[in-house]
Amino acid sequence: MTDTLKILAGMLQEVIGDDWDLDTEITAATSFSDDLELESIEFVALAEKLQERFGTETDFVGWLSSKELDEIIGLKVGDVVEFIDSRS
Amino acid sequence: MFVANGVEHHMQVLGEGPLVVMLHGLLVDNMASWYFTAAPEVARDHRVLLYDLRGHGRSERVPSGYKVAELAGDLEVIIAEDQAGCASSSGAGPVDLVGHSYGALVALHYALEHPGLVRRLVLVEAPLPPSSLAEMSALAGTSPEALLAKLPAGMQAGFLAGNRRARRLVESLGFLLAESSLVADLKSEEDLPDAALRGLQVPVLAVYGRDSSCRGVGERLEREIPDCTRVELDGGHYLPLDQPFELARIIRGFLDG
Repeated sequence: MTDTLKILAGMLQEVIGDDWDLDTEITAATSFSDDLELESIEFVALAEKLQERFGTETDFVGWLSSKELDEIIGLKVGDVVEFIDSRS
Repeated sequence: MFVANGVEHHMQVLGEGPLVVMLHGLLVDNMASWYFTAAPEVARDHRVLLYDLRGHGRSERVPSGYKVAELAGDLEVIIAEDQAGCASSSGAGPVDLVGHSYGALVALHYALEHPGLVRRLVLVEAPLPPSSLAEMSALAGTSPEALLAKLPAGMQAGFLAGNRRARRLVESLGFLLAESSLVADLKSEEDLPDAALRGLQVPVLAVYGRDSSCRGVGERLEREIPDCTRVELDGGHYLPLDQPFELARIIRGFLDG
């Protein structure tokens, strides 16, 4: 697992909280909506964590705002990792 | 998390510039409906403060305080704290308020209570009074499942596509409908007299959906509020979801004017 993927997986566990299924394995192919069933408000919380952690190098929220909600819902963990890694 | 009136509020701030606070509506809503639509657009040249109303989103679930005046009390603390924390004087001063549905009523209440503290007001689908919205008058005794069944099909698909999302929504609605004063507070909301609307000094933008059951309220606001521009868009009550781009463009244009 790359560092970024590990960090993202940790953040997801924090955001999802009690609902986190310990059997869940986060890979680049994991879809936020279909696999993790993330609510859009949880995506907001994730965006905040990502902005705090990576915000000096990447405008994560700006990247998100360029996408339509459908596109955001279709995002996979790998898409976010790729975006962050491409900027750092 | 920010504590206002003893209640923990989930808050997000985007962008820099003069302060705009955006408020969402009741029950099925939270800041995400602005965060993923108009907020980033407005944040290009404004400091946009979004928060989840008490009992909603990731804010604390509390059993009471859902009357417009009480929610306006939360808004008051949030605005005051943000202004106090502003390092530069360009951050302080009258704020712009954007509200959807019940959030619009909260913004309107705040503007009436604090003349001089609001620069401009955007009211999206304000149901004045709440009973003017068909969906609201049917709430008492409704189960979460029945409430969800009444939502527009597009919204239902989003909620019910997954088990976890549906379960969490039903749980949160269940709390609000059965374990809080929300329904009773809604029912007790009275209309505002025309005289109050006529006394509103700030420029107001009133946006309604052509298919909304409360679009007639827009005509009243346009008539009674001295400086009020009314716009109708294709769509229903949930305009931030029906018309995210058009609404963002209109709001930004009005706030920049």
